[in-house]
Amino acid sequence: MSDDGSCCSVRAIWILNPQDSVVFSRRFPVVEKRWRTACQKEREGAGGGCAEPWLLPTDEELALAFAERRRREGSTHGFGIRSSQSVQGSDSWIDDPITRHVISLSITSKRGGGEKFLLWPLVFHLQAYFHILVLPLVEPQHLKTYERISQRSDCGSSVGGQESLSSLLLDLPCITGAFLVAHSLGDIITGENLDPEVVVSSTPSVGGLLDSLTGSIGISSISARAKPAAASVSSSTTSGSAVSGASSDAPKSSSRSIDRDALRSFISSSMPFGTPLDLNYANIAAIKLNGFSSSDVPPLDLKQPAWKPYLYKGKQRMLFTIHEIVHAAMYDRDEIPDAISISGQVNCRAELEGLPDVSFPLTGLNTARVEVLSFHPCAQVPEQGMDKHAVMFSPPLGNFVLMRYQAFCNLDPPVKGFYQLSMVSENEGAFLFKLRLMEGYKAPLSMEYCTVSMPFPRRGLVFFDGNPSVGTISTTEHSVEWKIITPGRGISGKSIEATFPGTIRFSPQSTQKVSSASRFMNGCISEDDSDLEQENSSNSANVEEFLMEKMNKEIPPADMEQPFCWQAYNYAKVRILLLQLSVATIANWQSFCFSLCPFFFHLVSFKVVGGTLSGMTMDPKSVSIYPAVKAPVEFSMQMIQVKGRCEEGAGVLNRVAKLGR
Amino acid sequence: MERLPSQKQTAPPQPQLPSPQEWEALIDDLQSGVPSRLPRWLPPGAAPLALLDLLLACVLRRDFPSKPFLLLFLEESPHLLVPSPPDHAAPALSSLVDALRALLQSPADATPAAYALKEQMMVAVTSVAITVDALDHAPRQLEDLVELLLAVVNRPNHGPDRQARAVACECLRELERAYPCLLSEVAGHLWNLCQSERTHAAQSYVLLLTLVVHNIVQHSVPPTAMGILSTSVQLVPFNVPGYLGTVAGKNQDLSELNLRDIRRIMAFLLERPMILTPLATAEMVFMLTRVVKALEGQMSAAAALLKVQFSGLIYSYDPMLCHVVLMLYSHFSDAFSGDEQNITHRLTLVSKEGQQPVVFRLLALHWLVGVASRPPDKKNLLVPMASSFYPSVFDPLGLKAAKLDVLALIAIVLGFSRGEKGKKDKEVDNSKSGDCVAKLFEDCLVCVSAFRWLPPWSTETSVAFRTLHKFLTGAVPHHSSDNSTMSILMESTTFNTLQNILVNMAVEHPGLVPVIAAFVDRLKGCETHRQLGERLLQTFDECLLPKIVMGYRVSAYFPIFERIAENVKIPPRHLLELLLRFMVFLAEKHGPDVGLRSWSQGSKVLRICRTVLMNHRSSRVFSALSRLLSFTSQFFPDLEVRDNARIYLRMLVCIPGKKMRHLVNLGEQLLGVTPSPHTGLFYQVPSPRSSPKKPSGISSYIRLERVIPLLVNQLWSLTIPYLAAKDYEPVNPEGSRSIDSVDVSGSADVTIEADGNFERISSTQEPLRVMDSKVSKILDILRRHFSCIPDFRHMKGLVIKIPCNLRFDAGVFSQVWGTDASSADSDETHALPALYAIVLSVSSTSKYGQIPSCRVPFLLGEPSVKDQAIVPVDNTSPGRSNSRRLVTIELEPREPMPGLVNVVLQANGENGQIISGSLQSIPVGIEDMFLKASVPYNVSENDIRQYYLDLFNALWEACGSSANTGRETFPLKGGKGVAAIHGTGSVKLLEVSADSLIHCIELHLAPFVVCVMGGPLLSALKSNGIIKNVIWKEEHTTPTDHNDDVSTFAESTSPLQIQYIKDEDESDSLLDIRRTSLGSFFVLIFLPPRFHLLFQMEVHDTSTLVRIRTDHWPCLGYVDEYLEALFLV
Repeated sequence: MSDDGSCCSVRAIWILNPQDSVVFSRRFPVVEKRWRTACQKEREGAGGGCAEPWLLPTDEELALAFAERRRREGSTHGFGIRSSQSVQGSDSWIDDPITRHVISLSITSKRGGGEKFLLWPLVFHLQAYFHILVLPLVEPQHLKTYERISQRSDCGSSVGGQESLSSLLLDLPCITGAFLVAHSLGDIITGENLDPEVVVSSTPSVGGLLDSLTGSIGISSISARAKPAAASVSSSTTSGSAVSGASSDAPKSSSRSIDRDALRSFISSSMPFGTPLDLNYANIAAIKLNGFSSSDVPPLDLKQPAWKPYLYKGKQRMLFTIHEIVHAAMYDRDEIPDAISISGQVNCRAELEGLPDVSFPLTGLNTARVEVLSFHPCAQVPEQGMDKHAVMFSPPLGNFVLMRYQAFCNLDPPVKGFYQLSMVSENEGAFLFKLRLMEGYKAPLSMEYCTVSMPFPRRGLVFFDGNPSVGTISTTEHSVEWKIITPGRGISGKSIEATFPGTIRFSPQSTQKVSSASRFMNGCISEDDSDLEQENSSNSANVEEFLMEKMNKEIPPADMEQPFCWQAYNYAKVRILLLQLSVATIANWQSFCFSLCPFFFHLVSFKVVGGTLSGMTMDPKSVSIYPAVKAPVEFSMQMIQVKGRCEEGAGVLNRVAKLGR
Repeated sequence: MERLPSQKQTAPPQPQLPSPQEWEALIDDLQSGVPSRLPRWLPPGAAPLALLDLLLACVLRRDFPSKPFLLLFLEESPHLLVPSPPDHAAPALSSLVDALRALLQSPADATPAAYALKEQMMVAVTSVAITVDALDHAPRQLEDLVELLLAVVNRPNHGPDRQARAVACECLRELERAYPCLLSEVAGHLWNLCQSERTHAAQSYVLLLTLVVHNIVQHSVPPTAMGILSTSVQLVPFNVPGYLGTVAGKNQDLSELNLRDIRRIMAFLLERPMILTPLATAEMVFMLTRVVKALEGQMSAAAALLKVQFSGLIYSYDPMLCHVVLMLYSHFSDAFSGDEQNITHRLTLVSKEGQQPVVFRLLALHWLVGVASRPPDKKNLLVPMASSFYPSVFDPLGLKAAKLDVLALIAIVLGFSRGEKGKKDKEVDNSKSGDCVAKLFEDCLVCVSAFRWLPPWSTETSVAFRTLHKFLTGAVPHHSSDNSTMSILMESTTFNTLQNILVNMAVEHPGLVPVIAAFVDRLKGCETHRQLGERLLQTFDECLLPKIVMGYRVSAYFPIFERIAENVKIPPRHLLELLLRFMVFLAEKHGPDVGLRSWSQGSKVLRICRTVLMNHRSSRVFSALSRLLSFTSQFFPDLEVRDNARIYLRMLVCIPGKKMRHLVNLGEQLLGVTPSPHTGLFYQVPSPRSSPKKPSGISSYIRLERVIPLLVNQLWSLTIPYLAAKDYEPVNPEGSRSIDSVDVSGSADVTIEADGNFERISSTQEPLRVMDSKVSKILDILRRHFSCIPDFRHMKGLVIKIPCNLRFDAGVFSQVWGTDASSADSDETHALPALYAIVLSVSSTSKYGQIPSCRVPFLLGEPSVKDQAIVPVDNTSPGRSNSRRLVTIELEPREPMPGLVNVVLQANGENGQIISGSLQSIPVGIEDMFLKASVPYNVSENDIRQYYLDLFNALWEACGSSANTGRETFPLKGGKGVAAIHGTGSVKLLEVSADSLIHCIELHLAPFVVCVMGGPLLSALKSNGIIKNVIWKEEHTTPTDHNDDVSTFAESTSPLQIQYIKDEDESDSLLDIRRTSLGSFFVLIFLPPRFHLLFQMEVHDTSTLVRIRTDHWPCLGYVDEYLEALFLV
């Protein structure tokens, strides 16, 4: 937030690969000049108290500083909260998880004769193993404030104190903007800038903006990007994605190289002079590709919005899809209620000519216990009255997420059952699955597929034996997959029971060194408690407890992005653990990702079709378009993905969660 | 390249243009700062702008492939292409503008790529213009550039080039930003353009107009009479406004006309803000905010207008739009009054939105806290929403931590309101809301409850403890120096709950102890919150220690024990008792399968003991610690632990506190003890090095002195060499009777010797003799006596002890060894240097046998006497103070003779130096040899006096001239050797008054007096009461064997008589000697190894006659001097 009329400008962008070398960098000399002017002013104002503004670091300097920070902070993101090894002046010293995302680097300037200076705020985004760093322009005084905060010698600032990070972040919209930039760049690197999915009855899904331009024909040469795959719906936004049991810091050598030209051209168009204006990749790509012809006439009476550079021409229709992702924690215990929360969104595609306004009432809001509602920027939201919601919006081109909501569950889950496992030794165990699918679900609700997979990211599977009552088993070195219902042979209107007993053996665990991150945290524990171990081995009345403790010992700490230490739950209840596997839905189709687990978590994914778990629904007939136009409105409710876990701790937590209501 | 400035503007006639690959290499080189490849493209003397010309030539060439790349280079690195702006800005910019013009006016090529190139060229040229300071260095060219851009802009609603127009607007906006008010004269034209533009490029027009207005308001340009929106100035050709250089800060209000124009523009801008992208909206709102802020006085309702237009954006899921509303809110909080609830509520919900990337959810929480903390304090708004911040199961841990922060904030707010309320309201209410806080507190831990059974390094654990910390410290911020809040906090529910939680946690989950300890450390490391940490430790001491179950698990608590031991404020008694029990437990449990565990645990316990030693006054911990250590040193199964315990115990007993702290310090800084330059000496001695100074010098400041000075400094005794004894031997006529030669042959004798005379007599080859009963009685007594004297050749001989004081001068020591001991606070023993582990090796050339060395564990330096005029009294009493150490030198004389013992000292200094060298020799006098004769075991207490008298008489007889016993031998103790008596006598007259003589005897010879005779003497002595346990005889009889006595007396008196003849007046008294006798002393002195010295002192008023007999004639010489020194000096 600089003095001269820009709320968000970017001084530089760097993208580093997992090997800590800069693979892409972009500097904005105009913004840099503003920074230097501001420093100059500050210096004059402060009577020489401010140092000479530092030049932006070179790529090597930055890469070095980044590697140094990783070394110091224990991981790429850093730990975020203060540990015994945090150094005064470093990010983790500030003791705030946001410092994993808004980082500072201490640059050793070669040109400055080895002097060090602080670079802040660097917005840090990790995507597909690429480290994206964006440096927004702040005022020199903000930098100084941050420096002071990070240098405080006390035991950690309290929340809401004076001169806090919170206050800084509130004052600096440029950081927010820089995050948006970083995320867009990440999407371009991975090619994940997918349109939200909209399901139509005739075709499995329809594409985005380019399809609209070409009248839904779809030009494959233009849409080089893959069509959204069925199961990939907004997977990037789901927190704690189940398969990420391994630390995200694992240095994987990504063979993928980034498309520098695409990045360059996107940056040039989306943020001329370093001031981001439009981060919609689809629009920018379309303009780059298509340009405009004289046949593109602007609307007569209205201004065409910047986010809608083209107007639709062709057959008119509207499509809506409600899409829900469910997070569930379930316990086979009467005193602990299951916790199921739903993240839902209404995806929309409006193939309408001109610049019409669309409005429709969200009738489902009353029945669905919706907690949070937020809307696409194009929507105008009445300030009051969530209950009588009529949403009015002027739709952009292509598929877009009209609305997002959080809700609580309204129905019983369609998968129930329990799972038992007893570990005989460190490497051997016997398990039993007993599941009931679609109990109490009537047609037309149908389950299209259901798969239980047991990934063991850290253990090698050497022996597996088991025979399910229904479905097929396939194993790889690190997983077992049980396909209960395979696509194409979905069940509808009936329930089935499936059991799966088996034994499993792993290759002996190599004495793996605890990862650097855990070492980092481990700093406070100086001595190995070999004594305790001896004690355990000597009076090993409880082998299982001993096993548990031993396994616990090798668990690396969870990443801050994880909701909890998955691995710990893998090992946690080595004793018999009953858990009720349950899951819910109705709808066109639903996919259920359930991570239940005693040792190693399991992923149950399925797809049930026919409705929403939250009860969210909408009436196509009530959709009104102004100026009035005759366009069919299609509506579908879609996909539910459920993640869950079952264990005691979560149960207690659930009680807490209930307090919140 | 810089050698020739701009004389030669002639570009190379038709240069070979580099290929794209070559450009890439070239640019790489240039950007990395290694222009090694530059000469390939440019001759060394080329014009400075040759590279730029080359680049432009490429860009303008029709079919050159990678133009965007070159333009990017141009935009990103103008400093490489235009090396020195003041000189080159004008020519460079003019060629750039020419190139841009050429590009823009090139025949219409409607492909998107052609447009993209134009757009990029505009951006690049603008960027260069700004970076080279065009306004200062090339105003003409700047005008050209603006003109070009305005020409592009000036075609609203034209179809194909709408994106190019948008970009041109952005370029103009950037120029306007760099040079505020550059475009203010053409604002009217821009306003018209903005109104008419309807394509998506309208956004850029709107932003440009907003910025121009913003700058007009901010810099309050000279108001034109026509109003801001007048179009009186032509758009093209463009001229830089004259006032541009002088635009200053706002200090004047806008005219009414201008204000009206601005209102119009505002109304237009706010008409339909939905056409902007979120980021553009943010830009616009930002500028409008500043405009409204600047005009607040003149446009009252503008803020409310902004609020109405934009506050709905907070319901968007775009984080930027949320932030826009917050931006407005933080500037116009008045306009938003009443809406705070909405905003905080909405931010709370954003943090719950599962679809958002975590970072935005974190940001939302930060914004929330930021909003709530801004004055006026709105933290109370958060309280009713507390439950919304309970983390949910699937929240990432980072988010959980952030949510818990907010909860901590709420708890603090609750706690404070309770504190205020508590003063007024009833107790009940107080406890109720206290419960609420405590409940909140406990609830918070549930969501990371897994930490209880996860390893201590787990992230859950860190988050949990971080939360504890926030809950605790939030109430007393760091900047507050208010002690009362701290004490309130100490009594608060939060703190009590926390204490309980931690104690229970430690009891149930010993694995978490290190984390708890780290938590305490964190508090203790903080200036403000140190008290909390200490209080926690106290709680552990009071509540945790009693709950710990004895077992091997106790060792898990060592980290806490360490902290307790470190803390000066907590008496470590409980801890030490617990440790003692633990040691007992370990000792009991020790068995073959224990392995190294005893060692490991025992060492750890000792480590804690060390910490206690280091941090507490020895007196305070003495009893408990000494019990623990002595148990360990005696009974602990592991040898090393026992040894170490013994060392600690020894140190505890011998070394004063502060010194010991330095000694046991492993190198860390001590609390409360000023840092000493020589830390960690005990364990971290780099390498034992010998003293670099001359060792001989140490005797000048380290002194070993006799406690009782010798009466006679018998210098001549020095001359008696060791060999001298041999010289005497031939002289000894009765050599066969000396101990050396008398050796009973045959072991058979040994067995029978003790029994009686007969066997012994039969075994010796002595002829039979006639003995009267008196002689046989004497012999009996002597035999009995000699049988008590150990024979040093076969067993340990008799030992004499010479007490000495060891001390050293601190001042000199420090000078020599360079310690800092001479610091000002000299009353502190701490400031004085010390010696450790002192070993005194004693040797002598005299026949004193093997002399054991003496050891002193610790010795403190003595403050220099010259520094301290008054020596403290207690310092002078030996043995008491640490600066003097009583050392006893034990000699086992082979012959009673004076001599010198040499002492070599070895010690450790504080820095670990080894100090060694000889001290001054200690003289040994004859009086050191004086011992009481030993008494046979079967003599009863009551008979001792008589025994001594009998012995005296017997020896007196035996040493007399009579030969009755001369041929007798007496077996010594052990039965292997025998002794014979060869007596000698002497007489000495001491001319001292009886009083002083009695005094001297009482002082020096009292133990040896066996009998006192004569009434006057008795009465004199008895009144003093010093001489006791002797035979008192009223009547004064001369000793036995009067004849002999007389003869000796006659011999010895003759010189005296001569002397007395000189003094006529006193001849009478001389003659009266015997008559005026007051009485006699009988003195029996045993001289080790087996000799005797007998005095019979006849006391007269003015003189005393001493008859001396001995069986070791060489001693007479020393005795003579001794007596003189004793009585006459």
